[in-house]
Amino acid sequence: MAEIAKVKFAWRIIDLVVGGVFIYAGVVKAFDPIHFASDIDNYKTLPWTMSVRLAFYLPWLEIFCGIALIARRLYVGGLSLLTPLVLIFLVATIAAKVRGLDITCGCFGHASQNWNFPAHLTLDLAILAALLALYFRFEVRK
Amino acid sequence: MRQALVLAALALLPGIGQAIYFRDKVSWQSPIPASEMVTVAQARAWDGNVIWVDARPDVEFERDHVPDAVPLNEDRWNELLPQFLATWSPEKRVVVYCSSQSCNASREVARRLRGEAQLKDVFVLQGGWEEWLKSRK
Repeated sequence: MAEIAKVKFAWRIIDLVVGGVFIYAGVVKAFDPIHFASDIDNYKTLPWTMSVRLAFYLPWLEIFCGIALIARRLYVGGLSLLTPLVLIFLVATIAAKVRGLDITCGCFGHASQNWNFPAHLTLDLAILAALLALYFRFEVRK
Repeated sequence: MRQALVLAALALLPGIGQAIYFRDKVSWQSPIPASEMVTVAQARAWDGNVIWVDARPDVEFERDHVPDAVPLNEDRWNELLPQFLATWSPEKRVVVYCSSQSCNASREVARRLRGEAQLKDVFVLQGGWEEWLKSRK
């Protein structure tokens, strides 16, 4: 019984950490959407008109999905939005690197400005792994 | 699916609100308004009336830079800004550049110079350092 409680507790911690990371990332970017628009534009995959509109939308999407994970309301909705978001971001980061673009990821606003490529990649993969783990656990428990 | 749609719709509300709040502060059609961009030829024509600002990392600045350029990057902003301001005078135009067309350091530095340092006549060099090199050949 105690073992089950421990496992439950560990999963809850993962929810909180992943949710917290997205809330933090969203808030930092929501404070400076113009800077975030430049970061999106830097990937050179979308036209500016779209980058700037996404810059006003994505941070709030991250915040709401993060809250969903922490509050366990609309939980699976949060997971199913964040997983492809992180995946798209990962692919875009790798593609930018391959194309030799000089980019800052913008994931955590100014806080992530000096991160190098391996640091970005490691964090993104860790978040993706956590999201997938939470998703599969949810499916198994259904 | 329904949950994802609810979350996506919820996020739209503050996003739209914020976009309305920022409507006059952001350039919706291009990353830099044409009036804030300058070509190498235009900047050169301003001759001695220009302060060149190098927004690239220190290593790249040390390797080579536009003659008389002042380094001012975001990594050492607080340290370098006073040095830049010491060379600045109101009649001079400021031209900021970074490594290439795809970098955004020059845009950011120009934005901060306009916003935080309240400077006018701050321009971003089209094509950045790469374009400068081409024009030198």
